[in-house]
Amino acid sequence: MTIRHRHLAAAIIAAALFGTVHASWVPAKALLGQVLLERAWQARLAGEETAKPWPWADTSPVAVLSIPRLGARHLVLQGASGRNLAWGPAAMTPVSGGDVIISAHRDTHFDGLNELQPGDILWLNDGHGARAYRVTWLDIVDSRRQELVLLNDRERLTLVTCYPPNAPLAGGPLRLVVTALPAYLPNAAPADSDSQSNTLSLTTRRS
Amino acid sequence: MSSHRTSSSILQQLEMHSQLQHPELHSTRPGHDPRRAKPRGLCWQDRVWLSLGCIFLVLLLLRIGTAQASNPEFAAPLGVLPEWGLSLQAGDVSALHLALDTAIHVEVTGLLARVHVAQSFSNDSNDWVEGTYRFPLPDGAAVDRLFIEVGGRVLEGEIRERDSAQQIYQQARADGKVASLVRQERANQFQTSLANIGPGERVHVMISFLTNVDYRDGAFRLYLPGTFTPRYGNEVQTATGMPAPRPRFASITSSASHGFSLQVDLAAGYPVSGIESLYHDVDIQAVASGYQVTLLNLDEKTDRAFELQWTPEFGGDPASSLTTWSDGQHVFAQLMLIPPRDSSLQAQSREVIFVIDTSGSMQGQSMAQARAALLAGVDALVTGDRFNLIQFNSITEPLFQQALPVTAANLGMARRWINKLEADGGTEMAPALREALRAQPAAGQGQGGKVQANLIRQVVFITDGSVGNERELLTEIANLLGSSRLFTVAIGSAPNAGFMRKAAEIGRGHQTHIGRLADVGQIMAALWTHLRLPAVSDLCIDWGVEAEYYPEILPDLYAGQPLWVTARLAEEPAGVGLCGELNGQPWQHEAWPETATGANSLATLWARRKIESLQDSLMFGADPDQMRLQITQLALDHGLLTPYTSMVAVDHTPVRPGGEVLARADVPSLLPAGSTNSTAFPATATGWKTQLLLSLLVLAISGGLFLKPYFRLPVFRGRGAPVAARP
Repeated sequence: MTIRHRHLAAAIIAAALFGTVHASWVPAKALLGQVLLERAWQARLAGEETAKPWPWADTSPVAVLSIPRLGARHLVLQGASGRNLAWGPAAMTPVSGGDVIISAHRDTHFDGLNELQPGDILWLNDGHGARAYRVTWLDIVDSRRQELVLLNDRERLTLVTCYPPNAPLAGGPLRLVVTALPAYLPNAAPADSDSQSNTLSLTTRRS
Repeated sequence: MSSHRTSSSILQQLEMHSQLQHPELHSTRPGHDPRRAKPRGLCWQDRVWLSLGCIFLVLLLLRIGTAQASNPEFAAPLGVLPEWGLSLQAGDVSALHLALDTAIHVEVTGLLARVHVAQSFSNDSNDWVEGTYRFPLPDGAAVDRLFIEVGGRVLEGEIRERDSAQQIYQQARADGKVASLVRQERANQFQTSLANIGPGERVHVMISFLTNVDYRDGAFRLYLPGTFTPRYGNEVQTATGMPAPRPRFASITSSASHGFSLQVDLAAGYPVSGIESLYHDVDIQAVASGYQVTLLNLDEKTDRAFELQWTPEFGGDPASSLTTWSDGQHVFAQLMLIPPRDSSLQAQSREVIFVIDTSGSMQGQSMAQARAALLAGVDALVTGDRFNLIQFNSITEPLFQQALPVTAANLGMARRWINKLEADGGTEMAPALREALRAQPAAGQGQGGKVQANLIRQVVFITDGSVGNERELLTEIANLLGSSRLFTVAIGSAPNAGFMRKAAEIGRGHQTHIGRLADVGQIMAALWTHLRLPAVSDLCIDWGVEAEYYPEILPDLYAGQPLWVTARLAEEPAGVGLCGELNGQPWQHEAWPETATGANSLATLWARRKIESLQDSLMFGADPDQMRLQITQLALDHGLLTPYTSMVAVDHTPVRPGGEVLARADVPSLLPAGSTNSTAFPATATGWKTQLLLSLLVLAISGGLFLKPYFRLPVFRGRGAPVAARP
């Protein structure tokens, strides 16, 4: 082994280390983000309207999304910018009602979203109480050819993430789109209740 | 490598240790010392190292490449994205059919276009249905007429206050009468509802609106959004009990057979040198009144906008057109001022201040667009100009203390600065605006005194406009503007388009919007060309009589961009005087009125502009209730569709028998190809797992190789090397 080898080796090891840290930073940020957002959310629920997750943040959590089947609970940010998506799922529309569209990375917060099934319950709490939605269908769409259309006068929750779930590289054209419509579950509490028992079998024919 | 000595001494020890333990391995290379090996070409280890290095480099590049590709390109905020197209309401029924034919007739008279959109809803099902059709209209369209025709009867729609129109419609719907309601949902989004279409019945709905033909870069354009188009798929199945609208991920590929026809009667009233349809095949006939343009292929798919363009023959001077119409009480006037041809304009030296938003919300694609726009802007500067750059997030940071002349060194510095811009932090826009508008060029200041005094000062503000304190900012602009001109460049999803437009209006410049990275070059090139060629500046209008006109703040005239002013005057004007500066010289012009043939169109357009202006006044803290009242009154007076007024038509003969149920269902709608009202999906993958895996793999292999000579690893060393002994 020569000096040359060693320099080269050191450089490659350093690069590999950098790559490791760089890659780990993504899930670390996703986890850390949720912790910080949770704090801001609790502060907001406690009445502190302008609670920020970190002092210089110009974004703050607007809702909590619970996906009982995945055992997931995420704090949702407003605006699906690349930066917001790193910290948490991001709502592309106002979460207070109407047509709510939330997207997140398939390999951080929306990991396992493809396991959802029609009939599953989703909960969305915008701070004024939780609303239940029932997954109606899952679509796989090509983002090069199709686009998201907003319904103005409908209550709906749409979750968007990349597809396929385990593709090695980011940037693929396919998206998984989970559409959920309001579910009427009187007196059911979010997340705590075993909502999978509410599964409803649906027969939806695709046109 | 400074730590080489210490690390190598440890390695030395390791090696010695390994030699002691496994002399048979080292005996294959007698006297080998790793630090004093003779270079003898590439040994296999070199090759492994090099290939590993290459692989890693490729992976890193790939990662960077995909990271960029995975950024979303938002064309428009979802908040303004409507659901275009037809939908059908049905209850517990399945399989509904509703076909839609559309016929569009456009009459262009001078600078006005009246567009009639006639749609036939025919119900092929056995149920009574309610159809809903959402459609976009061109900017500033004034919708003022609605007719429905059913069973040979024609009914005319009336303008009512929104709630009362809704009630009338609901009542008629419940009573089984044919009824139609047209509502404005957002700025350019309208919805027609039609209740009680009987089985096998056909109902015609005609909506009519007024719009100005657009003038850009020497040509008039008539633009019709391409979504007078039916849905995709003409069948929907709903499971019993489901309140289920089928999804809105409408595929553009599927073709539904539907009728579509379009005819434009063009009576320009001025010499026209060329008529061209940009996206469709058309037939053009010269007729007595002008030209008649018809769409050739009537079954042509219509998800693309229709755009007709014709070139007027104007000279090198600014041309004006003044039309008036009197309703006996007021005189309504429209003044259009067309700048002279580019060739007769002299490029003028300018002081350009670029202000760039580097707040956190700009991160990703928006920042890339902004950087590209800025670089294009800096490249467009020429000797004689002065410039400065200011970035702002939580703090404001100018590149230079004051605007500097354009020199190679200064430009180089600016380019490096731009490339280093990163988006982070909050959005404190006010200090940046103040900084940009503060340093007004004083006469004789700096080098080349005489020229300096005449510098045109342009502030180019590049931001996504996510601000909350609009009122404060707009007031600030109005107070500080002075002789500067403010141009806003809205980037990405531009959630606050209203603010951007208003800021430019108050700043007497204009607004530009960049939706996709791919468009930056083209859009910015057009902007920089305009900015270099100010045609008429410091415009003033003397109507000669009392006048209420819009826009209230007159912008400068730039090459290829005309000025439209709509006014309500106390009496017929004798002539309208225009003044300003052209090519640095005082300029005067007089426009003589012609009586318009388009009847009350001018009044309608004036009311539409006034309504827009009233809506904008909210940004200055106007009382919303007061504004609502004013707009409602104006809309009722002029028969206009606004957010507060709807148009409703009811056939008073009940058609649906009492026992029958009105069906409701949804049909997926179509989103136009390449529409500016569409939005892309966000990128929702990071690929961190792959990167982590590969990094660890490289780490493991390289670590293994690196340490191999010092540890006993099961390796083959060349031919006949023994399998390493296992401990």
